[in-house]
Parts: sequence; C-alpha cells; structure tokens
Amino acid sequence: MSVSELTPAGRNADAVGPASKRDLNIVFWIFPAFFGVFGVVFVPLLRVIPPPRPDVGYDGMIAFFDAHHTTIHIGVVILCLCFGGAAVANGYVAYQMKRMSSGPVFAYVYMGGMAVGVLPGMLLVAICFNAASMRLDRPPRVVGFLYDLGMLSFNGQLGCFSTAYLAFAIAILLDRNKIFPKWLAYLTIWQIVTEVMATMMWMMPSGAFAWNGSITFWLATAVFAIWLNCQGLMLKKATDSQPAGTRPPD
Amino acid sequence: MQMIAGFDDIPRISNVRTQQMALWITGVSLVILLIAYAAFPGFWPPMSPQLSADEVATFYRDHTAWIRFSMITFNLCGIMLLPLFGVLVVQMKRMTTQNQAFAYVFLSATVSSSTIFALADVFFATAAFRPNRDPDIVLVLNDLGWLVFVAPVGMALVQLAMLALAVYHDTSSKGHAPIFPRWVGHFSVAVAIAMAPSALSIAFDSGPFAWNGVISFWLRNIAFGSFVVVMLIALRRAIHRQAVDEGLYE
Repeated sequence: MSVSELTPAGRNADAVGPASKRDLNIVFWIFPAFFGVFGVVFVPLLRVIPPPRPDVGYDGMIAFFDAHHTTIHIGVVILCLCFGGAAVANGYVAYQMKRMSSGPVFAYVYMGGMAVGVLPGMLLVAICFNAASMRLDRPPRVVGFLYDLGMLSFNGQLGCFSTAYLAFAIAILLDRNKIFPKWLAYLTIWQIVTEVMATMMWMMPSGAFAWNGSITFWLATAVFAIWLNCQGLMLKKATDSQPAGTRPPD
Repeated sequence: MQMIAGFDDIPRISNVRTQQMALWITGVSLVILLIAYAAFPGFWPPMSPQLSADEVATFYRDHTAWIRFSMITFNLCGIMLLPLFGVLVVQMKRMTTQNQAFAYVFLSATVSSSTIFALADVFFATAAFRPNRDPDIVLVLNDLGWLVFVAPVGMALVQLAMLALAVYHDTSSKGHAPIFPRWVGHFSVAVAIAMAPSALSIAFDSGPFAWNGVISFWLRNIAFGSFVVVMLIALRRAIHRQAVDEGLYE
C-alpha cells in the first residue's frame, strides 16, 4: 500500500462520524446549566449584578464588603469550580460555527475572543472581590482599588466580546448551511452596539452611562439576557438538526 | 524504527513529526518549570495566607532575586506546556466514534486556563519588582497572585472532563482501535478529583484547604504535574500508533 492511499480517520469534509449524538447532547446541556450557575453566583452571591455603585466613596465600598464578604466567598468558590462551563459554551458554539459554509475563520475568532474574555470579563472581578473580602482591615485606598478593578474589568471588558459577536454575526449572515437563523445575526449586532455604548463607563463615575447606569448596564444586560437565551435555544436547534454521523470539516 | 525514506514532504509525515516535537518542547519546559518551582522561595513552604503585610513585604525584600528568577522563568516557560495540549486536541480530533465537540471545548478551555496562569505570574513578579513598595500593596499583590494561582481550577476540570469523556466515547469501530487506552480516562477523572478541592482555598486561611494547604497546594500541583508526565507518555504511544497506522514506519 502506498502512503498516499492511506486516509487518516476523520480528516475529510464529509467524513463519516458516529451515528450517536450523545457527545453533542452532553456538551449542549452544559450550556444552560452553566449559565444557571453563573446567574446564582453573580446576582445573589457576588452581588455584582445589579452592580454596586461607582460613586459611593471608600466608606461605601468598605461597607459593601463588610455586608457581603460571606456570600462573596461562597460565590467565588462556586465560580472557581464551575467557570469552565464558559469554555464549554464557547467551544461548542465555535464547533457549530465550523459546520457553516462560511468557513472556519470566524469560528476560530469567536473561540479566541471568548476564551480570552473569560479572565477579564468573568474571573477577575471574583478574585478582586475575594481579595477585598478576605482582609476587611485593608487600607481604604486598597479596597477602593480592588472594587474599581473588579467592576471595571467585569462590565468594561468590551473588545473580546465585541470581536466574538462580530465574528458570530458575519459567519451567520454568510452561511448557507442554515446552522443558525439570520435573525440571530441581527440580534447579535445589538450586542456589539451595547458594548460600544458601554465604553462610556470608563469615563462616567455616575449617571446613565456609569457602570451601573440605565443605559450602559441595564439596557445592555436586558439585550444580553435576550440574546443569550436566543443563542441557547438556537444552539439546541442546531444540535438537533445536525445529521447523525457527520462532523465539521477540518 | 525509522520513518520511511523519500516521503519527507508528505503532510502526514510532518503532522507526526510536529506532534513529536511538541512533546519534546513540553518535556523540556516541564524540567525548566520544575527548577523554577524549586527555586521560588514562596513555595518552600508555601506562604501562609495568615502572614501580615509587614511579613509578606519583608519576605519579598529578603528573597527578591530568587523570586524574580523563578517568576521570570515561569513567565517564559509556563505556557510552553501548551504544545502538549495542542497534541491532545489533534489526537482527540482523530477519534472516529464521536463528533469532535469534546475536542473543540477542550481547546477553548485550554486557552482560558493558560491566560489564568499567566496572570498569577504577573502578580507575583510585580510584587517583587519594587522591594520597597508599601507593604499593604505588596500584600494585595501577593494575595491576588496566590488566589489566581491556586483557586480557579474550573478550566482544568473542564479539560480533564472533556478528555475523559472523549476517551470513554472512543470505542473501537470499523477497524480503528481507540486512540488512548481506557485508563487515560480514569486517570483524567482522578486528576480532576484531586484538583477540584483547591477551589475551597477561597474560603480558608489555614488547614489543608488553605492556599498553602496539603490538599489545595500540594495535592493539586502534584496531580497536575503527574498529568503532564503521564500524558507525555500516553501521547508518545498514541503518535507512534498513528504513524504505524498510516504506514509511515517501515
């Protein structure tokens, strides 16, 4: 047999995969499970959503950690155990994007943007809040620094996600395999719009454009919640409609 | 065994060769990292979370040179373990009895977990950059370094879980033997169980679960180190079998 006749398994575009889709279902169901945990960690435990005010002064920041240090510790423990769920969600969306006719470029961009964004956009606020909560006797200026660093990195990390959203939207619009519906691309563009508006929080310590503002936070969060639910539902649809025995081209 | 002669330019041969080189880079980096690990005074014994600001500042002042040496080495070579994980992705994608979703999620989690290690290194190294810094600032940098280094195991857990799931779903079919023996799956689960309790270091400042504790520090790091060593061996065998399967050895 000559070398050129040998075909390694799973290299071709329409390589025959397994008939079972159990692995896809396992990975898909981690998506809603993770975002459920995410909600519990960030809303009642870490108290990052709704955000504590940027305009409270050192006394207010110290009072915030005094009041919530126990739930913050619990929330950070859970987050440290479970935040890998973000990688499952990102990796699986990228996997479905690789099935599109638009090619793998934007799937890789989506995965890269989201994978980098996990640290500044999710983990760092937990670490900062925990650092403040573990020593309540720190000097106020240090507490204030941790408070600002945490909140600004969580709400103000814009580029990683905008890049991923842009890649997601363009890939859907160019795709002819109908992996995701076109309206999801238009909804995703609104995510980019809210990220651009959120740039204001780096300059505004109070008001509608601050990190807790009605536009930069509440409008953005409402859009995000709608988008995330739609993405999850459409991801389920993409999983269900993927023919058994197929896999994305390399 | 020698690779067959005269086919140097065949992509399949370079694919095997690059994987072998990747394992060598990882192996050499691991040795260098172990030297840096042995050289970091903060690991012998691991620094207690109960140290005061003055004690921590004095520690960084007294050991500046060794801390800098070890952190610069970690900085340069820590991420050079990535080639091992790159080879893992390649081998997971070769598994024929699944749809490759585990491999993409594994890749996404690998990127995120690497950024976290890099951040911990920056905190430690910055604390050592100005030995005469205000002790309260040195303390908070040291806290952030330890918190980021030890607690966020969630990404590693997803990597290990995806590897284990991929191995368990990789049953032999159509004449293809599984890429890894099943014990690789059991081993991944065991490493995950050993690493998971480190998340509790968020909530303890003494005992086995504190960041300097027997479980959170020693068990976690030994488990991860063993994972790298064992996977070097398992991957070396897998690559060898790939070369044999593809007729690249004579």
